[in-house]
Amino acid sequence: MSNNASTMTPPSGLVNTVALAGIAGVVVSLALVFMNMAGQGHASFNTTSDGVVWGLPVSTYLFFVVMSTGLTFVSAFGMVFGIREFYPVAKRCVWLALATLIAGFTVLAFELGHPFRMLWALPTSFQIYSPMNWMGVLYGAELLFIVWKLQKLEAGDWESGVSKKLGMASFIAAILAVAMLGSVFGMMAMRPYWFGGMIPMYFLLTALLCGVALTMLTSYVAYGFDRDRMPGALQDLLKGTTSTLYASLPVVFSTVIGITLVALTLRTATGLWSHQDGFEAFNWMVGTPWFLLQAIALLVAFFLMVNPGTRAGQGAQVGAALLVLVAMFIGSYLFVVGGQVVPVFKGVWVADFVEYAPSLTEWMLVVLGVSLCLALYGFGEKKLNLGAAPDK
Amino acid sequence: MAKWGMVIDLDKCTGCTACTTSCGMENNRLPGENWQDVLFYQEGEFPSGTLKWFPRPCMHCENASCVEVCPTRATYKDADGFVLIDWNKCIGCKYCMIACPYGVRFYTDEKAPIQPDVKQVFKGDGQRSWNPPWRAPDSRDDWKHGVGIQPNGVVSKCTFCYHRVSKAPKGTPDLNPANPALREFTPACVVTCAPTARYFGDLSNPNSEVSKMIANQRGVRLRDHTGNKPQVYYLTGGAGGAVPTDRRGKKA
Repeated sequence: MSNNASTMTPPSGLVNTVALAGIAGVVVSLALVFMNMAGQGHASFNTTSDGVVWGLPVSTYLFFVVMSTGLTFVSAFGMVFGIREFYPVAKRCVWLALATLIAGFTVLAFELGHPFRMLWALPTSFQIYSPMNWMGVLYGAELLFIVWKLQKLEAGDWESGVSKKLGMASFIAAILAVAMLGSVFGMMAMRPYWFGGMIPMYFLLTALLCGVALTMLTSYVAYGFDRDRMPGALQDLLKGTTSTLYASLPVVFSTVIGITLVALTLRTATGLWSHQDGFEAFNWMVGTPWFLLQAIALLVAFFLMVNPGTRAGQGAQVGAALLVLVAMFIGSYLFVVGGQVVPVFKGVWVADFVEYAPSLTEWMLVVLGVSLCLALYGFGEKKLNLGAAPDK
Repeated sequence: MAKWGMVIDLDKCTGCTACTTSCGMENNRLPGENWQDVLFYQEGEFPSGTLKWFPRPCMHCENASCVEVCPTRATYKDADGFVLIDWNKCIGCKYCMIACPYGVRFYTDEKAPIQPDVKQVFKGDGQRSWNPPWRAPDSRDDWKHGVGIQPNGVVSKCTFCYHRVSKAPKGTPDLNPANPALREFTPACVVTCAPTARYFGDLSNPNSEVSKMIANQRGVRLRDHTGNKPQVYYLTGGAGGAVPTDRRGKKA
């Protein structure tokens, strides 16, 4: 099946800028990370055995791989559930799911003590009780299916049996992977801030939120923030002028932001209300300026997307997408660090929270992840015709 | 098979930290990264505040959460009850440190908790993360059981002095350092403990001294609600050291 001719608009000059910024970011951040880690190893991080063990690099990994899952969800709207209105963003989502997955695991590789040992030690030892082990298996499966699916899309095969099965397989793998990632934290009964069977559900929700936000943002970047250059179908999806309400990206976006706000509010209220040991982390969370920033960003984004007067506007959509991505990055950080700020045992008699501020090396890993995403996105947009969609 | 365990009598413990020192020398611990730590804390406020202390090795739990979360099985439960780390398989993901309810695990590769950084003074050789001049003979290095000077990028913790205890005669109910025949098989912290607050023996043997002490003196386990079932028991009558059951401070 051939690609739709209306999607053949050449990528805007902005894509070149994004790609170059990404490459520059990768070079600079990698140079700094290598320089610091070559001299000091992981001592260049501010993580400590008696404090925060998993710091900013882990929360950055979390942010990217959760987003990867969300992008797979958005691509599945068209390719699994047959909502054809989502086809104009489907291929872009599949490519971005791959890019964010690569970015996430690249950051994680720098965080691990022995990333290469992991390649043989995980499959040969296979601890079935470890959620982290299953997370690796499932994200590996998601990666495989995404690459395979992308190869099919690149060949113009959108709707063959194999292509559809691959779409379904990557969707299922993505659900299970992010749920298992949630379980990595949710199964830790000794850390009440994280504990709970509904944590994987929260991860699924935020995955979708991140996925929709990045889909919206990159749709504009691809066409140089000029909606008139977009194919008609993509314009309809972004403006919400499709025949069905659920095939409107701003409506989906506002719904998911709204549900996330409710979930976040209830989780915070529950944590603040409870006197159980370890729930003090919620006091820490709401006491940080980051929490306030996250709340404001989500509320503003929700207002922009739920208000019929602003929902379809380009500026509002770009702004809301950026705000949500920033809020979710903060949310990921607060979640990962929050589970460790109350000492599990060491110094439990100390009422204070563990102090942690990421080091330059840790921040450079964030830059590395973001830059890698930008570079890969730019590459995909220029070389892979990410706006392609099947003929009707 | 034995099920080695420890009993610490808090009424006898003086908080002298000789156990910490002997463990440090026996296992080449970095300053501040004490496998066998004694934690000091304050209970109450002036004028009735008191200083408390609490000796805390790895609990070598029966249901060790660190074992279950380790994706590569680098942390494992030995047939004789030891919870050990295979440094050849540890990938340094630190999930075990997250999952341990007792905070007894240490990642090798991080900022020195105490300055100056002795790792920079006695630099490692690429294999070992550092190279202290007073280390045990190289032949005693046993990475499969987490014994020796750890390499970079792995997690370490108390081994119950595996290198000593594992050589004890089979069927020994108690490793009493007062018995010259057993002294060299007894964990360093137990040997050193001046007030004899520490006892080490086979918990699966109902006739061992440690089993009797736990039964007769109502031994308690730390944070038992986690279900980890530590193999370290504490005896406490309320004087001296105490098992901390709650945080001092309430929520802000």
